[in-house]
Amino acid sequence: MTEAEECAPDDSLSRAIAGESAGFAMLVRSHQRSVYSLALRMLSDRHKAQDLAQEVFLQLHRSLAVIESHAHLSFWLRKVTVNRAIDRLRREPKYETVRLEENLNLVSDARERDPLLQRRLRELVGRLPPAPRGVMLLRFQEDLDPLEIARILDMPPNTVKSHLKRSLAILREQVTAFMGPDGTPSEPGPSFTKRDQ
Amino acid sequence: MSNNLDDELRRALRPVDPGEEFAQRVVARIARDSTVSRRHAIARYQWLPAALAASVVLGFLTTHDWRMRHEQQGLEARKELLEALRVTGAKLDLAYRVLNDEARVSANGISGA
Repeated sequence: MTEAEECAPDDSLSRAIAGESAGFAMLVRSHQRSVYSLALRMLSDRHKAQDLAQEVFLQLHRSLAVIESHAHLSFWLRKVTVNRAIDRLRREPKYETVRLEENLNLVSDARERDPLLQRRLRELVGRLPPAPRGVMLLRFQEDLDPLEIARILDMPPNTVKSHLKRSLAILREQVTAFMGPDGTPSEPGPSFTKRDQ
Repeated sequence: MSNNLDDELRRALRPVDPGEEFAQRVVARIARDSTVSRRHAIARYQWLPAALAASVVLGFLTTHDWRMRHEQQGLEARKELLEALRVTGAKLDLAYRVLNDEARVSANGISGA
């Protein structure tokens, strides 16, 4: 995208609503990272995440008439993605042996100061029950506040705060154990059984 | 520890890209799905002309059958009426003959005395 295009007012939404394929493609490109990452970290599987992300955008295409603004679009995408992922997780079998190193996104990022710790954190978030997992992702990936999260998940704000508090406590305990007495991280095991969610 | 953990979580959960071709695949799938939907819509209504023709034929046959029965019933009613009239006529003839015979016998009896 050229600088002029970046500075131009984003009319992708109005163009998409008008039925322009190129306008809709622009919308997809603008939001695909957020939608795909939510799906990936909810489902812990790249293929399922691609599939879910595609379905979300297909549903968006059918529902464009109800989208009122870019802010509403972001809200709608997050809501549909997380709620669909939660539904899928609840339909899955409860016990599953997961080789997380194969399933989780292990794209290394030069900005990761501690790749092992960050991989472990992603792993731990991926082991939370569906609803708290969604809360954590909306908080730390999408940077939303508890009230916004409550609206997206149709949950009372106090429940959101409770999920955040408990999930952070679990993660803190697990990370401390992971770090070990000398403060250096240890490698996670090759596989483990997913606990009852 | 809280702030560190929050920061580490934000770094760990930074959004990742699904790949350059993701948007193209979505648009291609939309185009494919709308073609399939159009074909289904056409197929869904292909039966309509045949159904309409069948309705017209059925309606004609039903009406024709009703008329035939109605006419048949009319013919039978006419037949019964004619039979009733014939029977009545026969009885009237008989009554007339009986009366005539009685009158003749009575007239012969008066003149022969």
